[in-house]
Amino acid sequence: MTDVAAIPTEGLRISGRVALGFPPRRNTYTSVAYSNAQPDAETATWLVVRPDSMVTAYAGKVEYGQSIRTGFAMEVADELRLPLDTVEVVLGDTDLTPWDNGTFGSQSTARTGLQLRKAAATAREALVELATSKLDLPASDLVARDGRVSSRRDPSRGVSYGDLVGGELSDREIDDEVVLTAPEDFTVMGQPAQRLDAIARVTGAAVYSQDVIVPGMLHAKIRRSPAYGGKVGSVDVAAVEQLPGVVRVVVDEETVAILAESDEEAEVAGRSLRPRWQEAEDQTSHEVMPQLLKETAHDPAVTQENGSLAEGFALAERTLEATYYVPYVSTVPMEPKAAVARWEDDGRLTLWAGGQRPFGLRAEMAQAFAIDESRVRVIATEVGGGFGTKSYYPVALEAAKLAKEAGRPVRVAYTRADEMTWGNFRPAALIEIKSGFMSDGRIVAWEFNAYHAGPSANIGRRGSDGPYDVPHVKVSVASSDSPLRSGSYRSLGAAVNHFARESHMDEIAADLGMDPVALRLQNLSHPRFRGVLEKAAERFGWTPGVAPSQRGVGCALAFDVGSYAAACFELDVAGAEVNIGRVVLAADCGQIVNPVGVENQVEGAIMMGIGTGLYEAAEFRAGRLLTSSFARYRVPRMVNLPQIEVVLTGDQSLPSTGAGEVGIVPVTAAIANAVFDLTGQRIRELPVQPRLGKSGA
Amino acid sequence: MASLTVNGEERQPLDLNRNLLSFIRFELELTGTKYGCGEGLCGACTVLVDGRPLRSCETTVDAVLGSSITTIEGLAGGGDLHPVQQAFVEASAMQCGYCIPGFIMETVGLLSRNPQPSSAQIREALAENMCRCGTYQRIERAVAQAALQMGEARR
Repeated sequence: MTDVAAIPTEGLRISGRVALGFPPRRNTYTSVAYSNAQPDAETATWLVVRPDSMVTAYAGKVEYGQSIRTGFAMEVADELRLPLDTVEVVLGDTDLTPWDNGTFGSQSTARTGLQLRKAAATAREALVELATSKLDLPASDLVARDGRVSSRRDPSRGVSYGDLVGGELSDREIDDEVVLTAPEDFTVMGQPAQRLDAIARVTGAAVYSQDVIVPGMLHAKIRRSPAYGGKVGSVDVAAVEQLPGVVRVVVDEETVAILAESDEEAEVAGRSLRPRWQEAEDQTSHEVMPQLLKETAHDPAVTQENGSLAEGFALAERTLEATYYVPYVSTVPMEPKAAVARWEDDGRLTLWAGGQRPFGLRAEMAQAFAIDESRVRVIATEVGGGFGTKSYYPVALEAAKLAKEAGRPVRVAYTRADEMTWGNFRPAALIEIKSGFMSDGRIVAWEFNAYHAGPSANIGRRGSDGPYDVPHVKVSVASSDSPLRSGSYRSLGAAVNHFARESHMDEIAADLGMDPVALRLQNLSHPRFRGVLEKAAERFGWTPGVAPSQRGVGCALAFDVGSYAAACFELDVAGAEVNIGRVVLAADCGQIVNPVGVENQVEGAIMMGIGTGLYEAAEFRAGRLLTSSFARYRVPRMVNLPQIEVVLTGDQSLPSTGAGEVGIVPVTAAIANAVFDLTGQRIRELPVQPRLGKSGA
Repeated sequence: MASLTVNGEERQPLDLNRNLLSFIRFELELTGTKYGCGEGLCGACTVLVDGRPLRSCETTVDAVLGSSITTIEGLAGGGDLHPVQQAFVEASAMQCGYCIPGFIMETVGLLSRNPQPSSAQIREALAENMCRCGTYQRIERAVAQAALQMGEARR
């Protein structure tokens, strides 16, 4: 774990532009929330072809389940005509990899992967060029294949990549115009591949942030206020300091940290500490959220506008109005956040962390300790689930501060309750929709007003604009006060906005006595949207009907970060329990690098959506999170698994658009629509299951 | 002296009151066994005690003295993956992978008491193991595949 890797000093090194993460734009979520991180260099090493004919690729992303390590290796292997097992990928190490804004927004394949393909293609062309002189043959006669450049006419005349690059270092710049391999010539990409890191994951060898152990490390047990905003009132540390293994106790404004030689000693000492807390008074509860969202709304932004609502509603033969509510939900990665910080003898800081933004953490550390970013090295471990919440990684600074204070490396690890309480939540939202439509199903007016909790306006804006051909539209998204810490969650507000929009589409269909799929298709001209909806309906075996048909089927359409999806659900209700039997989801994410990786992501996103659809809601009162344990916060288990079929429909000549998020987006509306179809009860408030059979939802 | 066996090696714990998961992870430095919730509700900390799956986060060392414990690191023998590990690899039954050691240990326990579980029995046996990445469909497939392969190997 503490081995210090370095970029090879021999071989062919390909460098190129950095800053290919999520594009930093003005006034967006990324620039507002993450404005601290800026590239420190314009170019960086992306790839090295080594004298042993192996290739090392570098990317500032982290691996948190999306199998991006394997995806990148596949892209490099294909462009360099190498077997997959000769490519290794170094991720998220601020001393080694190109600067990156963070692993979020389904951008890794779309942007970073493309840059790695260009780097690998540049290397391939450079190797052929080197071979022309080595073999004294024209480039037109040379072909790169399986780690060798050889003559097309006489394949016995050839030279390995390793021999071509030799024992010295040569540099090339990425050729932005380099010809990339055509999809029909892929030998690695597009085929299902076993993950490079699969063995490490089944043998326990994969090291996550919770697993980092460095010599001389102290374990911190941090006592935090039982309520949000609480401050340390008084604390008697003397007794605890005498306990076995305890090295010191550090009292801060909001925390008391016990540093001990072992985790067990820190834990035991922490339990015996009796701090008195000064709690903030008059804290609100989850029950008032719907009103609070409306009352505190500010800065509404129009995200879609067309025609005139007045004209549209004047035209309409029928109108419908409905209000939808989505509560806060917890992100719940399996691995609670942890970090180990070590101050080196020369004053540099080394930090092991499982955050989604290694370079963001580096900037945060540099700012906190007023040192240059070059004095901080952040090494990303394997990340045990993130889904957005690990873009925010406060244990890192806690560990670094305590390590400085103690003069020894320090490990800070969240407990499950810490992770649930002090992580960020997907913001609660209230959404009002008024629609106007003709008796034949044409929608002519659409007014959508959303109120999302929290200051990050872009969370709520994502996915608020609709895909349908409506002549008179106005979509507005406001920010409201947020009693809980709101933040990133898979697809940001897209899954939330889609719950309202796609539920409402079914309400229109029911009002008109139309089939929900037919209603959508009637208002949909975009071929990629039509493509996923038609494919999902076909594979599902959707037969037209008018809800409630008592069949328990529901569909929904979705769009997120460039990708299209449609889902069909079939479910049943037994007592108080909804059983989802079958899901078909068609997704168009453009070009697919690793089909297994994409399917796995989409299947997982569906399960996560099922949790928010049926069970999940973060509850709080008097500053206390009431749902900080798995005993009180239900997430989907294997017994809740439906039969899931994922159909990938993308045109392989179109750019990759990311697959990590779109799968969650249609899920909750499809569930609510299927419940209506089964029972005739329209549930407009998530989660659905507790509201089954109750009026006034 | 009080001892227990971990992955075939005899170990003498320094502190018998220590939490078993803490002992495994930070005294033995076998970090493949994971902390997930500390309440026995997620299964990430599952190890085998005399062949039976146990939530190590809810156990103290003295409760398992004299036992033989297998952690995820001790499952593969002589460089070969255990058939359950192999099945998880082949079914791509993993995303972030944090829960996977626990699922594998639970599965080994299941297949030793029920070598040919039905789909419902697999789901029931693994119902207390949590995978937030939602890889359940592939995990179920991996367990069924492992049962099949182990069954064939016994013939």
